[in-house]
Amino acid sequence: MAKRSLLVLSVALATLVGIAAYLFLYLANVPGSARAAQTSSGVNLYLATVPAAAANDPHPTWVSYYVTNKQDTNWQHKTTFVVPANSLVHVTVYQYDGASGLRNPFISQASGTVGGTFTLNGKTMNAIDPANASHVFALPQLGISVPLAGVASNAKDQCPNAPCTLSQAHMTITFTIKTGAAGLYRWQCFVPCAAGYIDGFGGPMQSIGYMDGYLKVV
Amino acid sequence: MTATANRVPAQSPARQRGLLGFNMLTGIILGVVGWWVFYLLGGLIQGYTNHGFSQTGQNDVQIMLGYLGGVIGFLGGLGFLNYPIQRMMGYPPNIPDHEVEEPGLGKYFRLTTDHKVVSQQYFVGIAFFFFVGGLNAMLIRTELLSPTTHVFGAQQYLTLVGVHGSMMMGMMTSGVLGPFANWLVPLMIGSRRMAFPRMESLTFWLLMAAGVVLITTVFFGGFQTGWTGYEPLANQGTAGYDAYLGFFGLVSISMTLLGLNLAVTIATMRAPGMTWSRLPIFCWSVVATAALMVLAAPMLTATLLMGISDRTLYTAFFDPGLGGSAYLWQNLFWVFGHPEVYVLAIPGFGIVLEILPVFARKPLWGYKIAVSGMLGVAIFSFFVWQHHLFVSGMNADLRPFYMLSTEIISLPTGFTFLAFMATLWRGRIRLTVPMLFCLGWAFNFLFGGISGVFNSDTPSDVTTHGSFFVMAHFHYTIMGGLLFSVMAAMYYWGPKMFGYKLNERLGKIHFWVMFLAFNSTFGPLFAVGFLGMPRRVVTYATNLTGLNDWVSVSAYVLGLSLLLFLFNMVYSWMYKRIPAEDNPWHSRSIEFQLPTPVPAQDFDEIPVFSGDPYPYGEALAPAGAEPATAGAY
Repeated sequence: MAKRSLLVLSVALATLVGIAAYLFLYLANVPGSARAAQTSSGVNLYLATVPAAAANDPHPTWVSYYVTNKQDTNWQHKTTFVVPANSLVHVTVYQYDGASGLRNPFISQASGTVGGTFTLNGKTMNAIDPANASHVFALPQLGISVPLAGVASNAKDQCPNAPCTLSQAHMTITFTIKTGAAGLYRWQCFVPCAAGYIDGFGGPMQSIGYMDGYLKVV
Repeated sequence: MTATANRVPAQSPARQRGLLGFNMLTGIILGVVGWWVFYLLGGLIQGYTNHGFSQTGQNDVQIMLGYLGGVIGFLGGLGFLNYPIQRMMGYPPNIPDHEVEEPGLGKYFRLTTDHKVVSQQYFVGIAFFFFVGGLNAMLIRTELLSPTTHVFGAQQYLTLVGVHGSMMMGMMTSGVLGPFANWLVPLMIGSRRMAFPRMESLTFWLLMAAGVVLITTVFFGGFQTGWTGYEPLANQGTAGYDAYLGFFGLVSISMTLLGLNLAVTIATMRAPGMTWSRLPIFCWSVVATAALMVLAAPMLTATLLMGISDRTLYTAFFDPGLGGSAYLWQNLFWVFGHPEVYVLAIPGFGIVLEILPVFARKPLWGYKIAVSGMLGVAIFSFFVWQHHLFVSGMNADLRPFYMLSTEIISLPTGFTFLAFMATLWRGRIRLTVPMLFCLGWAFNFLFGGISGVFNSDTPSDVTTHGSFFVMAHFHYTIMGGLLFSVMAAMYYWGPKMFGYKLNERLGKIHFWVMFLAFNSTFGPLFAVGFLGMPRRVVTYATNLTGLNDWVSVSAYVLGLSLLLFLFNMVYSWMYKRIPAEDNPWHSRSIEFQLPTPVPAQDFDEIPVFSGDPYPYGEALAPAGAEPATAGAY
């Protein structure tokens, strides 16, 4: 009896350990979140879009968003952005990727931002040439969509992969959004930019932590 | 028993058993080695083509070859290559006429030709993966406690849904045939073994390898397609989708071989007197299911090979952008997929109709009607698949045909219910645990069938398609049908198979908790679906929070009821160990005329059958009377 009980317990324990490890694989794989910086003029959120993630990333060839709460330092590979409710959020995007163009020219226009505009390298505008678009920062539930122009193909010192610095070729896009009630809002890029995948929709386009994530309003 | 012919010759152990070291441990070691060898080989091949790999970082050639090498190594380690190699070297065939008693647990961890041992392997293996699949269901319901993402996030949620669906629809195809048909069919037809004993074992180990392949998807990013794996979403998926293709590929091969083996066994190995009209109703359900498996599963194999080809050889069967067709996948998948639903359902019909006469103490009413009902369902199931595509943009002129063909399938299903009800009519019903599960099966399957009419009807399907209504429907038919019939079978044949009684009181508590929790879980999901909640979306409207929370709590209770069954097995079979009687239910079926546990060689003599298969009634089986001699129908 003792031998049989030991066998049953051993098998049960091994099964439980295996299942716990299996669960851990799921749970540990959730990308983290980054809190936007609170200043006297509002909330600042700094984002970067890079043509490829860092070399030590699980997918170092994937296009991706990065985030920081300080200007151009401490870049983190997280795509859940925590911002306060009922606040103005000033978003700055440093765009390091090249242009791939839009299949749907409609999303070359900005919508949902304060004033319906954005700035591209300091110049205020409400749309870009669809052929120059590289990515889109879109929050469908809040009606927000901002096109992100790509770096010219002949630009010097282009950034091949994260981390990128402001000394390298980039476009700077700024815009302001007004948050409402607390909640979790999905954002994503609407430009099929997953190089190597069929129609550009695979890999980073369908993986949270790369070209989509959440705006967590608290 | 009336025959004395075919006495068993002197026992001779199988030669290949002398080859020490071919077991599960060796299989796992060689499986890992095989994975790495083929994986590295895949890297070399991909290095020459370099197609897409540099941009995606995803080497599907390596991964698919890794799975192939892993499975070959695993099967080789178990000893499946020994016999073919022996034959190629000129050794004669060495299938034993019958099995010999083998003490110890070692036989459960290697290739065996004893159909009873294979069925027990199936039972444990499938139970493990059912537990994993069920755990995924609990995690899904945990995520749905809140209308927004709060535990896993969308990506993990979709992978959980996909693994749960694939695990249940793939592994559970053999949920009845694996443990019960392998054990029962040779006994019921008076044979000492299956037609292809090694193939019988191969189907089991292939299924176990498939389960492991599916679980490895978490190492490659999971897959977000659900169990249907629709293109082109699938082709755009990460390497986790390779695990889906590998898993269903192995499952489809296992299904085909299992069906073939069972069909050939019943067709060619019946004992004298076991005519088709005397075949137990469970065997008829196996015939119908085996036919479905043999005809439908190869379609899945071919479809998956095309999918694998798209991801590794850069063909474009399913990529519309390159001249392929996403509809092609949907059609090919459901040509397999709808018969697959009946692969899960028909064995349940057989179990229930086999058990019912025993506890109603009446002959099975409408034996031929029930048989024609099961065969009718099997045949019709090949002509309904496009009802899954009603809202896909299919040719609208095809809709009426598939609507009618789907609704017609309710007629042969109704035959089964007619036999069920008429057998109960004026019976001397004993509400034992197996009987309770049979009644539970009828209640659940009825709801599943009626709700299915809404899905088969094109106008109403347009409203309910892709919603939780569909989810509730197929859980009522598959889980409410398959799982309740499996539980009935476990309480009915389990003590005979494993040699020890199950606790009756715990069994009744198990039934009532499971029955109430099942209906409390899936009943409200009809309403949730009607209110517009889509499947495979991690978030939902906040006004559905109350219903979803109710469903989640009910699902936890449903999970606990299955743990209660697990506890009953451990308590009754590991600790109490009260030996089961030879015929505790006073059944007239041949397996209950044999000693418990059933001897390795099954029968001392090949039985000869005569008379009606269900001779229940006053004259033949007075209350408390001793059962008839083995095989004396």
